[in-house]
Amino acid sequence: MEVSKIHLRRVRDGTLVAADLFDDIADEHLAMWERSWLPAMRVALADFRRRHVPRDRWPQDLHWNWREKAVSARGLLGQQGFAIVCEERLQGMMQLNLTKTSRLPQQRGKEIAYIEFLAAAPWNRAELIREREFAGVGKILMRVAVEVSVAQEFKGRIGLHSLPQADAFYEKCGMTSLGADPRYEGRLTYFEMTAAQAVHFCTV
Amino acid sequence: MKDRMPELPTPPSRRTMTLNLTDAEMDALEKLSALKDLSKTAVIRQALRLYQMIDKRSRDGQKLYFEHESTREKAELMLL
Repeated sequence: MEVSKIHLRRVRDGTLVAADLFDDIADEHLAMWERSWLPAMRVALADFRRRHVPRDRWPQDLHWNWREKAVSARGLLGQQGFAIVCEERLQGMMQLNLTKTSRLPQQRGKEIAYIEFLAAAPWNRAELIREREFAGVGKILMRVAVEVSVAQEFKGRIGLHSLPQADAFYEKCGMTSLGADPRYEGRLTYFEMTAAQAVHFCTV
Repeated sequence: MKDRMPELPTPPSRRTMTLNLTDAEMDALEKLSALKDLSKTAVIRQALRLYQMIDKRSRDGQKLYFEHESTREKAELMLL
């Protein structure tokens, strides 16, 4: 497992804080997920229940089991996981699939880095906590996906299926929506980023 | 202040080998390389990813299907 240095922006004072980006979701990260991330999600859920927040506003990734996802991807060349750790806390995770191809007409059939799962830790999510610890974790993971795509000669092309709550985020990233995917009974919207969009995303 | 672009972890070290391919195999590799806009190394790497994934899923008891985009007709790819 390799690690590189990145920086996260602390919301409270705007400072950049050194963080580690791991090119794997290892047991230590899964232990952190179980020890702090999952309990924080449960606290948020209990709060939603207490305040009678409608179900459609609950986090739609509540059911994601990162241990199952990471373990099933181990040893597969077409799968790559990433974890961000800062101040000894897990801040976000992403699982990439490098075996998929594009659906957009202008790049149809070309390889893409497909984001299977991407999530920021609950303490970095505005919908779950009054004051987030770090901002931009999702965007950094998106940039990592673009960098992986470039490194694999996929020219920065990426794709993903978005949960409805995340549609606006991916639109803001400059991705093209191909609409609700009938393969997911229309529950998920499929997005892609072209090479040109990737350049723009990484430079603005 | 702008957020800094993440740098990927150092890529794993790589080893070089010589491939012995027939003319037909090299022709197929070159065509895929041109079609996919990938180097020959990247094509081989991609082929290995797919082969490994299909092999694992097959050994896990799963079947591989191709589905026609418009008719939704499915055809099983027999892996023996």
